[in-house]
Order: sequence, then structure tokens, then C-alpha cells
Amino acid sequence: VSARDGALHARSARDLEGLDRRGFLRLIAVAAAAGALPLACSRAPLGVAAPPGLRFLSARAWAVLNAAAARITGPPGAALIAAGRVDPALHADAFLAGAPSLAAPLAQALLALEFAIWPLVGKLRPFTGLAPEAQDAVLSELAESRIETKRRIFMGVRSVALMGFYASPEARALVRYPMGAADPAATIADAMVPAADERAYHGASREEP
Amino acid sequence: MAQAERIAADAVVIGSGAGGGPAAAALAEAGLEVVVLEAGARVASSDFVPDEALSRARLGRISVCTDGLQSFYAGSCVGGSTVVNDALCWRPPAEVLEAWRREHALGAAADALPAYAERIWRDVHAEPTDDAHRNRNAEALRRGAARLGWANESMPRNVRGCANLGRCNFGCPTGAKQSSLVAWVPRAERAGARVLADVRALHLRVEAGRARGVLATRLDPRTREPVAPLQVDAPLVLVAAGALESGPLLRRSGIDDARAGRGFQAHSSAYVTARFPEPIHAYFGPTMAHAVSEFSDVNGHAGPGYMLENTAVHPMQTAAVLPGFGAPHARAMAALPHLAHAVVVLRDRTRGSVVSGEDPASPRIDYALEAPDLERMRHAFANAARLYLASGAVEVWLPLEGYGPVRSERDLARLPEAPLDRSRLSLLYAVHLFGGANMDGRRAQGVCDPEGACWNVAGLFVADASSLPGNTGVNPQITVMAHALRVAEAALARRRG
Repeated sequence: VSARDGALHARSARDLEGLDRRGFLRLIAVAAAAGALPLACSRAPLGVAAPPGLRFLSARAWAVLNAAAARITGPPGAALIAAGRVDPALHADAFLAGAPSLAAPLAQALLALEFAIWPLVGKLRPFTGLAPEAQDAVLSELAESRIETKRRIFMGVRSVALMGFYASPEARALVRYPMGAADPAATIADAMVPAADERAYHGASREEP
Repeated sequence: MAQAERIAADAVVIGSGAGGGPAAAALAEAGLEVVVLEAGARVASSDFVPDEALSRARLGRISVCTDGLQSFYAGSCVGGSTVVNDALCWRPPAEVLEAWRREHALGAAADALPAYAERIWRDVHAEPTDDAHRNRNAEALRRGAARLGWANESMPRNVRGCANLGRCNFGCPTGAKQSSLVAWVPRAERAGARVLADVRALHLRVEAGRARGVLATRLDPRTREPVAPLQVDAPLVLVAAGALESGPLLRRSGIDDARAGRGFQAHSSAYVTARFPEPIHAYFGPTMAHAVSEFSDVNGHAGPGYMLENTAVHPMQTAAVLPGFGAPHARAMAALPHLAHAVVVLRDRTRGSVVSGEDPASPRIDYALEAPDLERMRHAFANAARLYLASGAVEVWLPLEGYGPVRSERDLARLPEAPLDRSRLSLLYAVHLFGGANMDGRRAQGVCDPEGACWNVAGLFVADASSLPGNTGVNPQITVMAHALRVAEAALARRRG
């Protein structure tokens, strides 16, 4: 954790304890207006290099999203992400081209996930610096929180992480999705009802089995 | 800004989807010199790819409402949402037209629309979904409904020679789907219309109470950033940019500040996912083909007002819909070949508003499903689960965070009695969007008159779902196309004087 990150983190710790939704949003807005967040939060964590060409995500947001995706997608996803075979955040950045209005709230959610302090679940460091089990605890706390803003952060990060992950061919192969695959595991014929099974189909109202 | 490029025409149509396509074709075939402005790119059918991520980013746009709890997806390409829809065809329901008469003084429109719908039905080749296009996904829904004795039906689609590729939402690569890109835009072009892609309308030009044209900007095809101003001079302007953009365009042009953008409505939607013992392979075949109409409140039904329709299973969307995270989520995803989806298509009672944001491409949408609608959504989730269990599903996931899979009726007892909390829905979205420039026979109540003409500006018409007075209770593309055709013919009649 850099000194700048640490300072912001300490401030977050004070401000975020027992925070309600309005207060949380105000904090994010004030910090952003003060210039604190863009300066401190745009850089990737030490030792992590973001890919070039990100359009919507900062290097930090990229790192946080990939860290979250590794936990959200489960063990097979974590392995692919750790091996560098899937970069969910890079896919998400491309996906945001079709959803530019999501970029700003997603950035806020990722910043909150990274820097907010939740002592009850032991989150005293940036999310990217936590052990996997601690990251899981943070995500669970967000998902189950009584505070709607926390649940929104979870839902937003969860959706984008999952969509970014399953945008990659490697992740699709994991779930045997055949469309676009070089060696598809199923064909169109497999999906269709065989002629032998056909019963009256049109206007099939109230048909008994 | 540089000197604007100027184009003159008899008519300018803003948008090329279910509204703009038929309108442009009708005007051009009547001999008018027509320019069509489309903010999205032009992608040929042969260039559509079987890639969920790329297709969604290239062919559509996702917007979120101001509280972040519901998303709205609309096509953004030549052909608009018809390029990415499921090709489903329903005629305008009689109950909806009756409400137009009763609540909006739109008797003439309600009387005329069915005949236009029949013309559209033929023109876009709406046909029954036959047995050759029945996939296991649709069958899973049909079987459950039949076993429960619930009214259900196969849905007609506007296709010619569908190859069951399952790519309706990614753009049909064979041109089988009779989208506006395939059915209407070529017709308009054959009649001389010029279709300008990557051009966003910014402002409607109005002088002395008459439409004079459009101020627009050409967009960089890659970054979507404005690159060059464009002015189209035309005495006839048809707005058909879709419900997320037409109302805001009128409002930021100073046309009817009191009403433009208001009355926005949707069919709010959410997915219920079922796992079957046998493979379903719900990524192939028609993306949607069968509906449970038992709970509808149109077409002779007197239910609470929602449909359950089978829909395709693709990984990105499925991942977002399934609740939870980590190992349980990964296990559910690993069963992808065995999953079936039903989408709840709710006929919302809620109304909201849509106005321009700082960026004209990102509207500000205020839309928060109200408690009665959330209660009906809960009702729909429970019935979708019952249907799939009756159909033979092993387990059913509702799109509710913190709610485990449903394996029996007993599990449904865990559903909260209170209306659903939107912030616990894993994905709440809408693709059927209406209003914002609504017609009304009473001048004080509508942006447009019963023929889609703006009450306040001569020569300005709204020819898309935004001028419909509310939602339709069924997939709306036929209604929107019929309405657009009628508005275009009204515009022609007024032009002839």
C-alpha cells in the first residue's frame, strides 16, 4: 500500500464506519471533487501492470475488477485469471463501449470496494491487497449488507466481473458453450426437438401431459 | 466547431429501426427525397458474428436508470432494435387499443391501427413458428405450462428461412430475420432514400412554429465521439430515435418542455433459470418462440399482467442473471448446456421520465418500479418456478440475491411476502420501451396529436414507440411498425394539403 493510498484509506476508515447510503455517496462525491480519488486511485497497485489501451477503466479499476472477478467467478475462473489466460477487466472495458453510462458508477463502485474499510470483516487494507478468503468475506458482507448502497456496489461489480469473464473464449469453453467454438461440443440438431417427439404444438393451450 | 456540412431534402427521418425504417420507406416510395439519420453504425448481415460481447457492444447500447437498479437495452445500429430483437410478432391487443380510446381520446388511431398491422404482418413475413423451429428450450416452457393447464402458445416470428442458429440477438447473419435492416431500409434506399449511419441528431430546427430540419453531428465510428457537424434542411421531420432518445431530443430542442420525456414506460423484465437433467442447449434454435399467456391481461386474458416467454441461454447474460458468486455460481454455470431461461415480460403500471443527460447519447432515466409492479414480478417468479418444476427441472434459480435454488414448492415459501426489493434483483432490465412523446387526442395531455404530429410544431412527427401512449402487454415491434407507417402516411397527407 503506497503512502498516498494509506492516507486515503485512513480517511475512508473514519468516514465509512456506520455509513448510510446518502453519506456514502456524499463521501465519494466530495473525494472526487477534491481531486483525491483520481490522483490516488488511478494507478495500479504496486507490482501490477495494466494492459495498454484501456478506454474506460483506470489501471487501478482494472486491477480491482480483476481481483474481484477472480473471487466472483469461482475456482475455475480464479485459475484462468491467475494464469493470465482471461482478463475480465479488459473485456469489461471493451464492453463498456456499448454502455458508456455505466462507466462512472462502475468506477465509483470499484474505488469503494478497493479503499473502503469494513473492520467487522477485517477489511483494513485495499481489496487488491487482501488474501482470497478475506476478499470473499468482503464480497459476502457487501452482498448481504442492510445498506442498499453496499448491495449496489456488490451487484454492479458482480455483474460486470461476470460479464467480462464470460466474454472470453476460454471462459465460454469452461461451460461448454459451443457458439463460435473451434470444436463445438453441441450442434444445432442437439438443441431441436426431434420429429418423433413432436406433438400438437401450435395453439397448445391447456394440453394435458 | 467547423462550418456544418449541409444537406437538403424533402424529409428527414431520425432513426432506422422499427419506427424509422417503415416511415422512411413509406415517404421515399411516395416520391419524397428522404434522408435517414442513424446514430449507430451500419453493419451488414454478413458481418454479424457469433460473439455475445462484441455484438452487444457493437449493435446496441445499455443505459441505466438514475438509481442504478434497472438497465435498458436498445439497438444502436442501422435497423435499430429490430437487428437485436427476437423477431417476435404480436398484433396490437384489442384491450390496449380500447385503453387508447378510453384514456387518451385516440379512437381514430385505435380504429386504424389493426389494418396497418395486417399490412406490416405481410410485409415483414410474420409466420407461425413451426415444428422445424421448435427447440428444447421452448419445449421446456410449453411442457410445464401444459402440465399445469396454463394457457400457452407459440409465437409468430418475422423470418424467412430461419436456420436455427440462435443468433437473433447478435444480428441474424443469414438475413432470415426480417429486421428493419433487411425489410425496410433496403426498400427505402431502392426508392432513393439516403441512410447516413454514425450521425447523431442533436437538435431539431424549428422556426415560426414550423420544422425546418435537424442539427446533427457525424460520429467517429470507432470512438463514437462527435467529429463533424451536419445540418439537414427539410420541411418534414419524423423523429423515430426510440423511446430513450426521441423524448429527450424533443425536450432539448425546446419542444413541449412540460410533457416531452414524461410518461416513459416499459415492460420490465427478469430471467428465471431452470436446470434440467437432460441437455437443453438453449443457445441454438429460435432465441424465443413460446409464451405462457395465462397471466397476461390482454388478448382475452384477465391475469395480473405479465407473460412468461422462453429465451436463449448465452454465457454473459446467464452469468449476470444467476444469483450469488464463487464456487456455487461456477457450479451453476458449469451446467450451462442443461439450462433453460424464461423471461418475465411485465406490463408495468409504473411511469417514469427520460430526458437528456449531459451527453445526448446517455439519457437520464428516472424509472423506479412501484410496489404493485414489484408484487406482480414476485408472482411471476413463483409461477415461473412452478412451471419449470412441473416441466421436470431439477432446480430453478430466481434472480434474487441471497435466495437459494428452488427444488420444490416448499422452497417458494421462502419468497418474501412483501414486494421485491429491486436492489436484491440480480438483473432487472427492459427492452420494450414506450412513451416520452405520447399521442393524445386532447392537446393539453399529449406531445403529439392522434396522427403522431407534434401539437406545437407543424411538420414535426414522432413515428416510434415514444409516441405510443403506453405499453402494449406483448412484444411491440409489429405495433410500432404499424404506428410508424400510419404516422408517415398522415405526414404525406398533410403535405399534400
